[in-house]
Amino acid sequence: MRIPVQLFDHATNDAVEGELFDEVTVEHFLETQRDWRPAVIEAAKAMLKSGAPREGVPRHFHWDWSRKEADLKVLAFSFFGITCGGRLQGLMKLETAGRSCRLPAQKGKPLVYVDYLETAPWNIKTLAQPLGKAPQFGAIGSRLIEAAVRKSIEEGFKGRIALHSLSTSEQFYLEKCGMTAVSRDPAKQDLLWCEFTPEQAELFLGEGGGAA
Amino acid sequence: MNMNTDKDWLRRRAEQEDGCFVSVGGLIESLAEKDESASVVPMKPAFVRFVQLARRDRRLSLEQFAEKVDVELAELVKIETEEHYKPTLRTVYKIAEFLKVPDKKLLALAGLLQVKDPQFQKAALKFAARSAPIEKLSQREHSDLEEIVKLLCEQ
Repeated sequence: MRIPVQLFDHATNDAVEGELFDEVTVEHFLETQRDWRPAVIEAAKAMLKSGAPREGVPRHFHWDWSRKEADLKVLAFSFFGITCGGRLQGLMKLETAGRSCRLPAQKGKPLVYVDYLETAPWNIKTLAQPLGKAPQFGAIGSRLIEAAVRKSIEEGFKGRIALHSLSTSEQFYLEKCGMTAVSRDPAKQDLLWCEFTPEQAELFLGEGGGAA
Repeated sequence: MNMNTDKDWLRRRAEQEDGCFVSVGGLIESLAEKDESASVVPMKPAFVRFVQLARRDRRLSLEQFAEKVDVELAELVKIETEEHYKPTLRTVYKIAEFLKVPDKKLLALAGLLQVKDPQFQKAALKFAARSAPIEKLSQREHSDLEEIVKLLCEQ
């Protein structure tokens, strides 16, 4: 699957055409290691040099996509990527089997679990600014979450999705996306399990009057 | 999959996301890796044997092979001699490229990719089980090599 998807170009303050695809390959992992990782390290060093507290340096400074390479062919997993301007702008891994809701009202119902989601470092303001740059493209994370919700709908899960949010991302998922904070998960380093109900997912998709 | 084409929605989402971190997963996974060894059929010996036979079939020393494939000699030595060494993604990818076999199947053989194909697993194990390295390839080894190449290249 390769479909056009509009992203937000911060330089022109307008929409720009990108592409959403699900044929993620080893080459994409290599691209993130070659292009993303050095940029994140450079930004993290600049942040520390400018006096930013160590805990403020993003945790995905440590992330390594090569950990995910072995999952490429597992049928219960789906991968999505976004490209724009000839470069990879975001990647996501979904689990489409074996996961269920923890929200009491939805308990036990199947959902799509977002196991991994990341945008290229040059799209993150907090990483671009220490290097004296502006973020390039906006709404990459939102587009990936939109793809996760639409995948959930395709699977018959009515838009239900869940994820373990890192502490630095909680504001986005709770306040900006409108997900519900269900509980801290001791099995996952006390990360917050967040869920979309079908109604919240519909609101996020904009079909109920716009995002929360 | 039909994505939202509303530009107002896009602008709202970009404003909402601006300045936020959106990352999920990664470090947490790496710190708490699941023990999947029990459910994964070990195919690494087949990978090692395949690399050895393919190299010898080309009459290449380890050093020459490393140079031609564009991988570190030290890693190639580890691949051929250390039973539990896990090759890097790049190295397997480069070997597949050089030997002209599908990279994903070779990644599976190297233990870097899970496959749910019992026939492929069984054939790989059978191939590995016939391990008897000698200096020059015998007719049987030639046949074995052809067999594993055929298996790797099968759609």
